[in-house]
Amino acid sequence: MTIKSLASLALVAASAALGLAASSAVPSTAPSPIVAQAAKPKIGVSIPAADHGWTAGVVWWAKECAKLHPDVEWTIATAESPEKQIEQIEALMAQKVDGLVILATESAPITPIAEEAHNRGILIVNVDRGFLKPVADIFIEGDNKAFGRKSAEFMVSRLGGKGKAKGDIIVLEGIPCTVNTDRVSAAMEVFRSEPGIKVVGQQAANWNRQKALEVTETMLAKNPKVTAIWASDDDMALGAEQALAEKGIEGVWILGGAGMKDIIKRVMDKDPMYPADITYPPSMIATGMEMASSVLKGGKKKEKLQYMPRHLMIDVDLVTPENAKDFYFPASVY
Amino acid sequence: MSAAGRMASVQRFLEHWGVLLAFALLFGASAWRQGGDFVSPDNLRTMLNSNAAIGVLAVGMTLVIVSAGIDLSVGSMVVLAAALGTTAMNGMIGAGWSEGASVALGACVTLGAGLAAGSVNGSLVVFGRIAPFIATLGGLAAYRSMALAIADAGEIRSQSSTLFSKLGRGGIPLGWEKAGPEGEVVYAGLLNAAGKPLTLTYSIIIFLAVAVVAQWVLSMSRFGRHLVAVGANETAARYAGIAVGWVRFRAYALMGLLAGLAGLMQSSRMNSVSTSGLGLSNELDAIAAVVIGGTSLRGGFGRVWGTVVGVLILGMITNILTISNVSPYWQGAVKGAVIVLAVLVQRGSRD
Repeated sequence: MTIKSLASLALVAASAALGLAASSAVPSTAPSPIVAQAAKPKIGVSIPAADHGWTAGVVWWAKECAKLHPDVEWTIATAESPEKQIEQIEALMAQKVDGLVILATESAPITPIAEEAHNRGILIVNVDRGFLKPVADIFIEGDNKAFGRKSAEFMVSRLGGKGKAKGDIIVLEGIPCTVNTDRVSAAMEVFRSEPGIKVVGQQAANWNRQKALEVTETMLAKNPKVTAIWASDDDMALGAEQALAEKGIEGVWILGGAGMKDIIKRVMDKDPMYPADITYPPSMIATGMEMASSVLKGGKKKEKLQYMPRHLMIDVDLVTPENAKDFYFPASVY
Repeated sequence: MSAAGRMASVQRFLEHWGVLLAFALLFGASAWRQGGDFVSPDNLRTMLNSNAAIGVLAVGMTLVIVSAGIDLSVGSMVVLAAALGTTAMNGMIGAGWSEGASVALGACVTLGAGLAAGSVNGSLVVFGRIAPFIATLGGLAAYRSMALAIADAGEIRSQSSTLFSKLGRGGIPLGWEKAGPEGEVVYAGLLNAAGKPLTLTYSIIIFLAVAVVAQWVLSMSRFGRHLVAVGANETAARYAGIAVGWVRFRAYALMGLLAGLAGLMQSSRMNSVSTSGLGLSNELDAIAAVVIGGTSLRGGFGRVWGTVVGVLILGMITNILTISNVSPYWQGAVKGAVIVLAVLVQRGSRD
């Protein structure tokens, strides 16, 4: 058998498999007597690929929510880049979805395609990273300025209180985008108003553990005597922790963020390295899906939209040993 | 000597030693600007340690590029090999094997998976007659997605309590404990910024060992000479009786094995595998280091020691920009400029 014929055989096999997968994805045609009249609404969910722990949490919650609503035809698509996401949203539009729940990879490039979908009468629920034009019927986001402010204020109080706080801190930033900018600028505003607090190093580690390890160890080689690290994300917190461990530096504490279950557990167990954490719930994607499905199920979309919130800002919570058990979800991947 | 002659000899000098000169200039400038922050043993070791895995990849990439090939899939091979190896190790620990045996077998699975992925690349290039760029572009997408699928895009934590991470973080201590004047513990030897003994990590030792062996292979062994011959002129190599396909296949397979090794170094250090992050865009850093080191992208000429210097130059740029608190968003611009400059300086008469 030649290579060519092998290759074509593989192609045939692959397309057969794809065909099978596609046909099994089509909902069963046997009509159930109860929902025989009302057609299932089709909702597309377009989210970034799991490029860090938090987005992995988003994917997990999206799947959980879809499971709870078998009476909706869900399509969940993950994209690594804005280009890919545009493609996927176009494909979803071609499938004639009734609604789209979108967590944009980046706000600006996704806005035009969301606008197009909106103009076709598709319900748009925008989660976390906002579109540049008011094309979403519902917009849900976490309060990133509060994320930065509350976490920085916690550090100030732990370093001696307002006006008296003292300490050298390291600041780790996430992927450059509005979410990160809002968090960092709100936090820096708090830090700058404290004459006793010195930011001895500030670097981006892209919400990535390995990158956080690398930049933190480099900053620690220069400034080994830091008091605390504002890591702003739990993946980065773990990287910073490892840098401290490898250098044998003790007594430094870290404030992460976003509510990874392992970190919440350590806050709950009063680990001195993690006195607190701050949430940024990846479950907000499920909130968006829940709202989209309740608007679209059983028709009367226009009427329901009259009383649905157009903009929902989800508060972020400071997690301390006292309240940690309310934020601990052992079954979640994040 | 005529002016043109002088120009030509300057050109030849730069072609040959330009990369070392660039390294020395950058090192000198960093030391001058940052003083002790930069030349401290702690900082230099940190720099070597965080670039050791990239270094291993870049050394393998040198051999592939000498054979007039390219491998874009190395970062994805790193994550796939590490994901499989860590999963296997966890499975064995879960089944009640001893930690030592599990870690050892997990390491073998990681190396084996890398070798297998590299062999697939080699087969596609040699037997499938697919251009290396395309074949390994396929690998770049496919291997990462397999790793993502294994862990549902999440993280695979190692279940080894201490041994696995010791592999990644441990090494030979360069300092030691001794009793102080009042009987308290003090440290002597090479110390880090926090006053604790520095460790020459296994990763650094592996990187340097791999580089030395690869340089020997390239310049002294039969396989190395065949790589050069195949890269310089495939047709001539074939007429000279060299098994061209077999030579190229081995280059890709070896690259895969080294990707497995880099995966082992990184996953053991992190004591986990982030399937979305580990190895991401490592291929670009590896190729950049090879190019800076003076290896010709069209094949037929290459030097491992140049690549090692290239890795150090790239690592030094990141390091110096980080310790001087320059916005990390500028790092790419500086790296890009260095890569292009390196090629310009070394272009010389070979073009």
